[in-house]
Amino acid sequence: MATIYVGVGEYAVSKNPDDVVKTLALGSCVGVIMLAPESKAVGLLHVALPDSSISKKRVAERPGMFADTGIPLLIKEMKKLGYNGNGKLIVKLAGGAAIMDPNNTFNIGKRNLLAVKKILWQYKLGSRNEHIGDSISRTVTVNVDTGKVMLSSPGRGEWEL
Amino acid sequence: MGTLTTDDSIARRIKEMPMLSAVASRLLELTGDQDHSINDVGRIVESDAFLTSRVLRVANSAAFSPIDPIQTVNKAVSYLGEKMLIGIAIGSGSAKVFKTPLDGYESKAGELWDHSLRTAIASRELAEFAAKNLSPNIAFTAGLLHDIGKSVISEFLEGNTKDLTSLCDKGVAEDFLAAERSMAGTDHCEVGFQLGNHWRLPATLCAAIKYHHHPWKSEEEYKPLVYAVHLGDIVAMLGGVGTGADSFAYRIDINYDNYIKVGKEDLSYLLLKVEEEFSKTRNFVFGSEEI
Repeated sequence: MATIYVGVGEYAVSKNPDDVVKTLALGSCVGVIMLAPESKAVGLLHVALPDSSISKKRVAERPGMFADTGIPLLIKEMKKLGYNGNGKLIVKLAGGAAIMDPNNTFNIGKRNLLAVKKILWQYKLGSRNEHIGDSISRTVTVNVDTGKVMLSSPGRGEWEL
Repeated sequence: MGTLTTDDSIARRIKEMPMLSAVASRLLELTGDQDHSINDVGRIVESDAFLTSRVLRVANSAAFSPIDPIQTVNKAVSYLGEKMLIGIAIGSGSAKVFKTPLDGYESKAGELWDHSLRTAIASRELAEFAAKNLSPNIAFTAGLLHDIGKSVISEFLEGNTKDLTSLCDKGVAEDFLAAERSMAGTDHCEVGFQLGNHWRLPATLCAAIKYHHHPWKSEEEYKPLVYAVHLGDIVAMLGGVGTGADSFAYRIDINYDNYIKVGKEDLSYLLLKVEEEFSKTRNFVFGSEEI
Protein backbone atom coordinates (compact mmCIF):
# COMPACT_ATOMS: atom_id res chain seq x y z
CA MET A 1 0.00 0.00 0.00
CA ALA A 2 1.44 3.37 -1.01
CA THR A 3 0.84 6.44 1.12
CA ILE A 4 0.74 9.73 -0.76
CA TYR A 5 1.55 12.61 1.59
CA VAL A 6 -0.02 15.98 0.84
CA GLY A 7 2.03 18.86 2.26
CA VAL A 8 0.93 22.42 3.01
CA GLY A 9 -0.51 23.95 -0.16
CA GLU A 10 -0.28 20.66 -2.04
CA TYR A 11 -2.94 18.36 -3.46
CA ALA A 12 -3.16 14.78 -4.70
CA VAL A 13 -5.68 12.71 -6.62
CA SER A 14 -5.73 8.94 -7.10
CA LYS A 15 -7.89 6.09 -8.32
CA ASN A 16 -5.39 3.40 -7.47
CA PRO A 17 -7.11 1.19 -4.87
CA ASP A 18 -3.74 0.45 -3.27
CA ASP A 19 -3.18 4.12 -2.38
CA VAL A 20 -3.83 5.98 0.84
CA VAL A 21 -3.82 9.78 0.62
CA LYS A 22 -2.83 11.59 3.77
CA THR A 23 -2.25 15.09 5.13
CA LEU A 24 -0.68 15.64 8.52
CA ALA A 25 -1.64 17.99 11.34
CA LEU A 26 -4.08 20.50 9.89
CA GLY A 27 -4.06 23.51 12.19
CA SER A 28 -5.90 26.53 10.81
CA CYS A 29 -5.47 24.96 7.36
CA VAL A 30 -8.41 23.17 5.74
CA GLY A 31 -8.34 19.72 4.18
CA VAL A 32 -10.74 19.49 1.23
CA ILE A 33 -11.58 15.86 0.43
CA MET A 34 -13.36 14.93 -2.82
CA LEU A 35 -14.77 11.49 -3.58
CA ALA A 36 -16.20 10.59 -7.00
CA PRO A 37 -18.04 7.26 -6.52
CA GLU A 38 -18.64 6.69 -10.25
CA SER A 39 -15.00 7.00 -11.29
CA LYS A 40 -13.69 5.71 -7.93
CA ALA A 41 -11.34 8.67 -7.73
CA VAL A 42 -10.43 10.58 -4.58
CA GLY A 43 -8.74 13.95 -4.12
CA LEU A 44 -7.24 15.78 -1.17
CA LEU A 45 -6.18 19.43 -1.00
CA HIS A 46 -4.40 21.19 1.90
CA VAL A 47 -5.50 24.85 1.85
CA ALA A 48 -3.46 27.25 4.03
CA LEU A 49 -4.86 30.68 3.20
CA PRO A 50 -8.17 32.08 1.93
CA ASP A 51 -7.15 34.42 -0.85
CA SER A 52 -4.47 34.19 -3.56
CA SER A 53 -4.37 37.94 -4.18
CA ILE A 54 -1.65 38.40 -1.55
CA SER A 55 1.16 36.73 -3.53
CA LYS A 56 1.35 36.11 -7.27
CA LYS A 57 4.70 34.42 -6.75
CA ARG A 58 3.28 31.84 -4.37
CA VAL A 59 0.25 31.24 -6.60
CA ALA A 60 2.63 30.35 -9.41
CA GLU A 61 4.74 28.11 -7.16
CA ARG A 62 1.99 26.46 -5.14
CA PRO A 63 -1.57 27.26 -6.22
CA GLY A 64 -3.01 24.73 -3.75
CA MET A 65 -2.01 27.06 -0.93
CA PHE A 66 -5.08 29.27 -1.46
CA ALA A 67 -8.78 28.39 -1.39
CA ASP A 68 -9.62 30.35 -4.54
CA THR A 69 -6.89 28.77 -6.69
CA GLY A 70 -6.65 25.35 -5.02
CA ILE A 71 -10.24 24.18 -5.25
CA PRO A 72 -10.66 24.79 -9.01
CA LEU A 73 -7.40 22.93 -9.51
CA LEU A 74 -8.53 19.95 -7.44
CA ILE A 75 -11.78 19.75 -9.43
CA LYS A 76 -9.77 19.90 -12.67
CA GLU A 77 -7.55 17.04 -11.46
CA MET A 78 -10.61 15.00 -10.45
CA LYS A 79 -11.96 15.46 -13.99
CA LYS A 80 -8.71 14.07 -15.39
CA LEU A 81 -9.40 10.91 -13.40
CA GLY A 82 -12.87 10.49 -14.84
CA TYR A 83 -15.18 12.73 -12.80
CA ASN A 84 -17.47 14.14 -15.46
CA GLY A 85 -18.33 17.44 -13.78
CA ASN A 86 -22.04 16.73 -13.49
CA GLY A 87 -22.06 13.45 -11.66
CA LYS A 88 -21.95 12.77 -7.99
CA LEU A 89 -19.08 14.38 -6.09
CA ILE A 90 -18.90 13.98 -2.34
CA VAL A 91 -17.05 16.74 -0.54
CA LYS A 92 -15.82 16.49 3.05
CA LEU A 93 -13.99 19.11 5.07
CA ALA A 94 -11.62 18.93 8.02
CA GLY A 95 -9.49 21.48 9.87
CA GLY A 96 -9.83 25.23 10.29
CA ALA A 97 -8.94 25.05 13.99
CA ALA A 98 -9.92 28.12 15.94
CA ILE A 99 -8.06 30.63 18.06
CA MET A 100 -10.54 32.87 19.84
CA ASP A 101 -9.22 36.32 19.05
CA PRO A 102 -11.68 39.18 19.60
CA ASN A 103 -9.41 41.36 17.43
CA ASN A 104 -10.05 38.89 14.56
CA THR A 105 -6.39 38.86 13.54
CA PHE A 106 -5.63 35.25 14.43
CA ASN A 107 -9.00 33.77 13.38
CA ILE A 108 -7.45 32.57 10.14
CA GLY A 109 -9.04 29.10 10.49
CA LYS A 110 -12.50 30.65 10.29
CA ARG A 111 -11.48 32.79 7.30
CA ASN A 112 -10.10 29.71 5.55
CA LEU A 113 -13.35 27.79 6.11
CA LEU A 114 -15.50 30.65 4.84
CA ALA A 115 -13.36 31.00 1.73
CA VAL A 116 -13.40 27.25 1.02
CA LYS A 117 -17.19 27.08 1.36
CA LYS A 118 -17.67 30.14 -0.83
CA ILE A 119 -15.58 28.68 -3.64
CA LEU A 120 -17.28 25.28 -3.34
CA TRP A 121 -20.63 27.06 -3.53
CA GLN A 122 -19.59 28.64 -6.82
CA TYR A 123 -19.31 25.08 -8.17
CA LYS A 124 -22.67 24.24 -6.52
CA LEU A 125 -20.89 21.97 -4.10
CA GLY A 126 -21.38 21.69 -0.35
CA SER A 127 -19.78 19.50 2.25
CA ARG A 128 -21.53 16.27 3.16
CA ASN A 129 -19.50 15.74 6.32
CA GLU A 130 -17.23 18.09 8.15
CA HIS A 131 -15.15 18.18 11.30
CA ILE A 132 -14.06 21.79 11.53
CA GLY A 133 -13.24 24.60 13.94
CA ASP A 134 -12.65 23.85 17.63
CA SER A 135 -9.24 23.91 19.23
CA ILE A 136 -7.62 20.75 17.87
CA SER A 137 -5.24 19.75 15.10
CA ARG A 138 -6.30 16.99 12.73
CA THR A 139 -4.62 14.44 10.47
CA VAL A 140 -6.64 13.22 7.46
CA THR A 141 -6.26 9.78 5.86
CA VAL A 142 -8.29 8.79 2.80
CA ASN A 143 -8.42 5.18 1.66
CA VAL A 144 -8.84 5.19 -2.13
CA ASP A 145 -10.25 1.67 -2.27
CA THR A 146 -13.05 2.15 0.28
CA GLY A 147 -13.44 5.94 0.13
CA LYS A 148 -13.29 5.93 3.91
CA VAL A 149 -11.99 9.16 5.44
CA MET A 150 -10.36 8.87 8.86
CA LEU A 151 -9.39 11.74 11.15
CA SER A 152 -7.00 11.59 14.07
CA SER A 153 -5.68 14.00 16.67
CA PRO A 154 -3.02 13.44 19.35
CA GLY A 155 -4.69 12.45 22.64
CA ARG A 156 -8.07 11.99 20.96
CA GLY A 157 -7.59 8.83 18.93
CA GLU A 158 -9.03 8.19 15.45
CA TRP A 159 -12.56 8.47 14.07
CA GLU A 160 -14.37 8.34 10.73
CA LEU A 161 -15.52 11.49 8.98
CA MET B 1 -5.20 11.65 39.34
CA GLY B 2 -2.55 12.26 41.91
CA THR B 3 0.63 14.20 41.60
CA LEU B 4 3.00 11.88 39.82
CA THR B 5 6.21 13.65 40.52
CA THR B 6 8.01 15.56 43.21
CA ASP B 7 10.16 18.65 43.19
CA ASP B 8 13.16 16.40 43.73
CA SER B 9 12.60 14.18 40.71
CA ILE B 10 11.97 17.17 38.42
CA ALA B 11 15.04 18.94 39.76
CA ARG B 12 17.09 15.81 39.20
CA ARG B 13 15.85 15.45 35.64
CA ILE B 14 16.71 19.08 34.92
CA LYS B 15 20.28 18.47 36.07
CA GLU B 16 20.46 15.31 33.97
CA MET B 17 19.24 17.02 30.80
CA PRO B 18 21.78 16.63 28.00
CA MET B 19 23.17 19.71 26.35
CA LEU B 20 22.92 19.38 22.62
CA SER B 21 25.48 19.45 19.89
CA ALA B 22 23.81 17.96 16.84
CA VAL B 23 25.38 20.76 14.82
CA ALA B 24 28.87 20.15 16.16
CA SER B 25 30.05 18.26 13.11
CA ARG B 26 28.70 20.96 10.79
CA LEU B 27 30.46 23.60 12.87
CA LEU B 28 33.69 21.65 12.67
CA GLU B 29 33.25 21.30 8.94
CA LEU B 30 32.54 24.99 8.53
CA THR B 31 35.34 26.22 10.76
CA GLY B 32 37.74 23.87 8.96
CA ASP B 33 37.14 25.99 5.86
CA GLN B 34 39.28 29.13 6.03
CA ASP B 35 36.84 31.19 4.01
CA HIS B 36 33.94 31.01 6.44
CA SER B 37 32.64 34.05 8.29
CA ILE B 38 31.68 34.45 11.92
CA ASN B 39 28.12 35.08 10.75
CA ASP B 40 28.01 31.58 9.25
CA VAL B 41 29.04 30.18 12.62
CA GLY B 42 26.40 32.25 14.38
CA ARG B 43 23.73 31.11 11.96
CA ILE B 44 24.42 27.44 12.60
CA VAL B 45 24.58 27.94 16.37
CA GLU B 46 21.37 29.94 16.62
CA SER B 47 19.47 27.28 14.69
CA ASP B 48 19.91 24.80 17.54
CA ALA B 49 18.12 25.69 20.75
CA PHE B 50 20.15 23.79 23.29
CA LEU B 51 23.51 24.77 21.81
CA THR B 52 22.26 28.37 21.79
CA SER B 53 21.40 28.16 25.46
CA ARG B 54 24.73 26.54 26.29
CA VAL B 55 26.70 29.20 24.43
CA LEU B 56 24.75 32.00 26.14
CA ARG B 57 25.19 30.35 29.51
CA VAL B 58 28.94 30.07 29.10
CA ALA B 59 29.24 33.61 27.74
CA ASN B 60 27.31 34.94 30.73
CA SER B 61 29.04 32.71 33.29
CA ALA B 62 31.25 33.95 36.09
CA ALA B 63 34.28 32.64 34.21
CA PHE B 64 33.70 35.07 31.36
CA SER B 65 31.82 37.71 33.35
CA PRO B 66 30.70 40.10 30.59
CA ILE B 67 30.09 43.71 31.61
CA ASP B 68 26.56 43.57 30.17
CA PRO B 69 24.50 40.39 29.79
CA ILE B 70 25.04 38.82 26.37
CA GLN B 71 21.67 38.08 24.81
CA THR B 72 22.34 37.23 21.20
CA VAL B 73 24.22 34.35 19.68
CA ASN B 74 26.33 36.52 17.41
CA LYS B 75 27.63 38.50 20.37
CA ALA B 76 28.29 35.31 22.28
CA VAL B 77 30.15 33.81 19.31
CA SER B 78 32.34 36.90 18.93
CA TYR B 79 32.87 37.11 22.68
CA LEU B 80 33.81 33.48 23.20
CA GLY B 81 35.75 32.81 20.03
CA GLU B 82 35.53 29.80 17.78
CA LYS B 83 37.62 27.34 19.69
CA MET B 84 35.60 27.76 22.81
CA LEU B 85 32.47 27.47 20.73
CA ILE B 86 33.50 24.17 19.21
CA GLY B 87 34.47 22.92 22.64
CA ILE B 88 31.00 23.76 23.84
CA ALA B 89 29.40 22.13 20.81
CA ILE B 90 31.26 18.87 21.25
CA GLY B 91 30.91 18.81 24.99
CA SER B 92 27.27 19.57 25.11
CA GLY B 93 25.78 16.24 24.12
CA SER B 94 23.56 15.88 21.07
CA ALA B 95 20.49 17.27 19.40
CA LYS B 96 18.67 14.07 20.29
CA VAL B 97 16.46 15.89 22.75
CA PHE B 98 14.74 17.77 19.95
CA LYS B 99 14.51 14.70 17.78
CA THR B 100 13.22 12.41 20.50
CA PRO B 101 9.47 11.84 20.68
CA LEU B 102 7.56 13.65 23.44
CA ASP B 103 5.46 10.67 24.41
CA GLY B 104 3.52 12.59 27.07
CA TYR B 105 2.21 14.83 24.26
CA GLU B 106 1.87 12.04 21.65
CA SER B 107 4.38 14.06 19.66
CA LYS B 108 6.66 12.32 17.20
CA ALA B 109 10.44 12.55 16.97
CA GLY B 110 11.57 15.90 15.58
CA GLU B 111 8.29 17.72 16.20
CA LEU B 112 9.66 19.71 19.15
CA TRP B 113 12.52 20.87 16.94
CA ASP B 114 10.18 21.85 14.10
CA HIS B 115 7.83 23.64 16.48
CA SER B 116 10.66 25.50 18.23
CA LEU B 117 12.26 26.63 14.97
CA ARG B 118 8.90 27.65 13.56
CA THR B 119 8.08 29.64 16.71
CA ALA B 120 11.52 31.27 16.60
CA ILE B 121 11.02 32.44 13.01
CA ALA B 122 7.48 33.66 13.71
CA SER B 123 8.59 35.51 16.87
CA ARG B 124 11.36 37.21 14.92
CA GLU B 125 8.90 38.31 12.22
CA LEU B 126 6.44 39.51 14.87
CA ALA B 127 9.19 41.59 16.52
CA GLU B 128 8.90 43.87 13.47
CA PHE B 129 5.39 44.76 14.64
CA ALA B 130 6.42 45.57 18.23
CA ALA B 131 5.07 48.84 19.60
CA LYS B 132 8.42 49.44 21.30
CA ASN B 133 11.80 48.50 19.92
CA LEU B 134 12.33 44.73 20.16
CA SER B 135 15.42 42.90 18.88
CA PRO B 136 14.42 40.33 16.24
CA ASN B 137 17.45 38.24 17.21
CA ILE B 138 16.39 37.97 20.84
CA ALA B 139 12.86 37.13 19.72
CA PHE B 140 14.31 34.34 17.57
CA THR B 141 16.40 32.97 20.43
CA ALA B 142 13.49 33.11 22.87
CA GLY B 143 11.23 31.36 20.36
CA LEU B 144 13.76 28.58 19.94
CA LEU B 145 13.99 28.02 23.69
CA HIS B 146 10.39 28.61 24.77
CA ASP B 147 9.35 24.95 25.06
CA ILE B 148 12.52 23.37 26.47
CA GLY B 149 10.52 22.38 29.55
CA LYS B 150 8.55 19.87 27.47
CA SER B 151 11.61 17.69 26.95
CA VAL B 152 11.81 17.30 30.75
CA ILE B 153 8.16 17.07 31.75
CA SER B 154 7.00 14.80 28.89
CA GLU B 155 8.00 11.57 30.64
CA PHE B 156 5.99 12.54 33.71
CA LEU B 157 2.87 12.94 31.56
CA GLU B 158 3.31 9.69 29.66
CA GLY B 159 0.28 7.42 29.61
CA ASN B 160 -2.03 10.30 30.60
CA THR B 161 -2.31 12.17 27.31
CA LYS B 162 -5.98 11.27 26.78
CA ASP B 163 -6.82 12.50 30.28
CA LEU B 164 -4.94 15.73 29.65
CA THR B 165 -6.80 16.50 26.42
CA SER B 166 -10.07 15.46 28.01
CA LEU B 167 -9.56 17.94 30.88
CA CYS B 168 -9.06 20.69 28.29
CA ASP B 169 -11.88 19.60 25.94
CA LYS B 170 -14.38 19.46 28.81
CA GLY B 171 -13.26 22.83 30.14
CA VAL B 172 -12.20 21.35 33.49
CA ALA B 173 -8.71 22.71 32.91
CA GLU B 174 -8.55 26.28 31.56
CA ASP B 175 -5.64 25.31 29.32
CA PHE B 176 -3.04 22.58 28.83
CA LEU B 177 -0.77 24.13 31.46
CA ALA B 178 -3.48 23.64 34.09
CA ALA B 179 -3.95 20.06 32.90
CA GLU B 180 -0.19 19.45 33.20
CA ARG B 181 -0.20 20.81 36.75
CA SER B 182 -3.05 18.53 37.75
CA MET B 183 -1.08 15.51 36.51
CA ALA B 184 2.53 16.36 37.30
CA GLY B 185 2.29 19.08 39.92
CA THR B 186 4.03 21.53 37.62
CA ASP B 187 3.91 22.64 33.97
CA HIS B 188 6.30 22.90 31.03
CA CYS B 189 6.66 26.69 31.43
CA GLU B 190 7.79 26.42 35.06
CA VAL B 191 10.08 23.48 34.32
CA GLY B 192 11.53 25.30 31.32
CA PHE B 193 12.09 28.36 33.49
CA GLN B 194 13.97 26.24 36.03
CA LEU B 195 16.04 24.69 33.26
CA GLY B 196 16.76 28.17 31.89
CA ASN B 197 17.90 29.31 35.34
CA HIS B 198 20.03 26.22 35.72
CA TRP B 199 21.74 27.14 32.46
CA ARG B 200 21.97 30.76 33.66
CA LEU B 201 20.15 32.12 30.65
CA PRO B 202 19.52 35.89 30.79
CA ALA B 203 16.39 36.91 32.69
CA THR B 204 14.72 38.13 29.47
CA LEU B 205 14.85 34.68 27.92
CA CYS B 206 13.78 33.01 31.17
CA ALA B 207 10.75 35.32 31.27
CA ALA B 208 9.79 34.33 27.72
CA ILE B 209 10.06 30.65 28.64
CA LYS B 210 8.04 31.06 31.84
CA TYR B 211 5.27 33.34 30.59
CA HIS B 212 4.82 32.50 26.91
CA HIS B 213 1.31 31.17 27.55
CA HIS B 214 0.38 33.81 30.18
CA PRO B 215 2.25 36.91 29.04
CA TRP B 216 0.20 39.26 31.21
CA LYS B 217 1.95 37.79 34.27
CA SER B 218 5.39 38.85 33.05
CA GLU B 219 7.34 41.84 34.38
CA GLU B 220 6.49 44.87 32.28
CA GLU B 221 10.02 45.29 30.88
CA TYR B 222 9.93 41.82 29.29
CA LYS B 223 6.43 42.02 27.88
CA PRO B 224 7.26 43.02 24.29
CA LEU B 225 9.41 39.88 23.97
CA VAL B 226 7.03 37.62 25.89
CA TYR B 227 4.09 38.71 23.72
CA ALA B 228 6.12 38.17 20.54
CA VAL B 229 6.84 34.58 21.62
CA HIS B 230 3.24 34.09 22.82
CA LEU B 231 2.02 34.98 19.33
CA GLY B 232 4.91 33.21 17.58
CA ASP B 233 3.89 30.00 19.31
CA ILE B 234 0.30 30.47 18.10
CA VAL B 235 1.48 31.14 14.54
CA ALA B 236 3.43 27.86 14.63
CA MET B 237 0.32 25.99 15.83
CA LEU B 238 -1.85 27.66 13.15
CA GLY B 239 0.59 26.31 10.57
CA GLY B 240 0.03 22.82 11.93
CA VAL B 241 3.45 22.67 13.56
CA GLY B 242 2.75 22.02 17.22
CA THR B 243 3.90 19.33 19.61
CA GLY B 244 0.98 16.92 19.55
CA ALA B 245 -1.82 16.93 22.08
CA ASP B 246 -1.40 20.48 23.38
CA SER B 247 -1.81 22.20 20.00
CA PHE B 248 -4.44 24.96 20.31
CA ALA B 249 -5.10 24.05 23.97
CA TYR B 250 -4.14 27.56 25.10
CA ARG B 251 -5.81 30.95 25.08
CA ILE B 252 -4.64 34.02 23.25
CA ASP B 253 -4.01 37.01 25.51
CA ILE B 254 -5.89 39.79 23.77
CA ASN B 255 -3.67 42.43 25.36
CA TYR B 256 -1.11 41.48 22.71
CA ASP B 257 -2.42 44.44 20.78
CA ASN B 258 -0.69 46.81 23.21
CA TYR B 259 2.71 45.30 22.46
CA ILE B 260 2.58 43.71 19.00
CA LYS B 261 0.62 45.74 16.46
CA VAL B 262 -0.16 43.01 13.97
CA GLY B 263 -3.37 43.22 11.94
CA LYS B 264 -5.62 40.82 10.08
CA GLU B 265 -4.09 41.69 6.72
CA ASP B 266 -0.55 41.21 8.03
CA LEU B 267 -1.22 37.69 9.24
CA SER B 268 -1.52 36.00 5.82
CA TYR B 269 1.77 37.54 4.69
CA LEU B 270 3.37 36.52 7.96
CA LEU B 271 2.19 32.90 7.64
CA LEU B 272 3.63 32.72 4.11
CA LYS B 273 6.95 34.24 5.21
CA VAL B 274 7.27 31.86 8.15
CA GLU B 275 6.54 28.87 5.90
CA GLU B 276 9.30 29.92 3.49
CA GLU B 277 11.89 30.77 6.14
CA PHE B 278 11.19 27.57 8.00
CA SER B 279 11.99 25.39 4.99
CA LYS B 280 15.24 27.30 4.37
CA THR B 281 16.61 27.32 7.92
CA ARG B 282 15.58 23.77 8.68
CA ASN B 283 17.59 22.47 5.76
CA PHE B 284 20.55 24.73 6.50
CA VAL B 285 21.06 23.09 9.87
CA PHE B 286 20.34 19.45 9.42
CA GLY B 287 20.70 19.08 5.66
CA SER B 288 17.69 18.21 3.56
CA GLU B 289 18.66 14.54 3.34
CA GLU B 290 17.86 14.06 7.01
CA ILE B 291 14.42 15.64 6.92
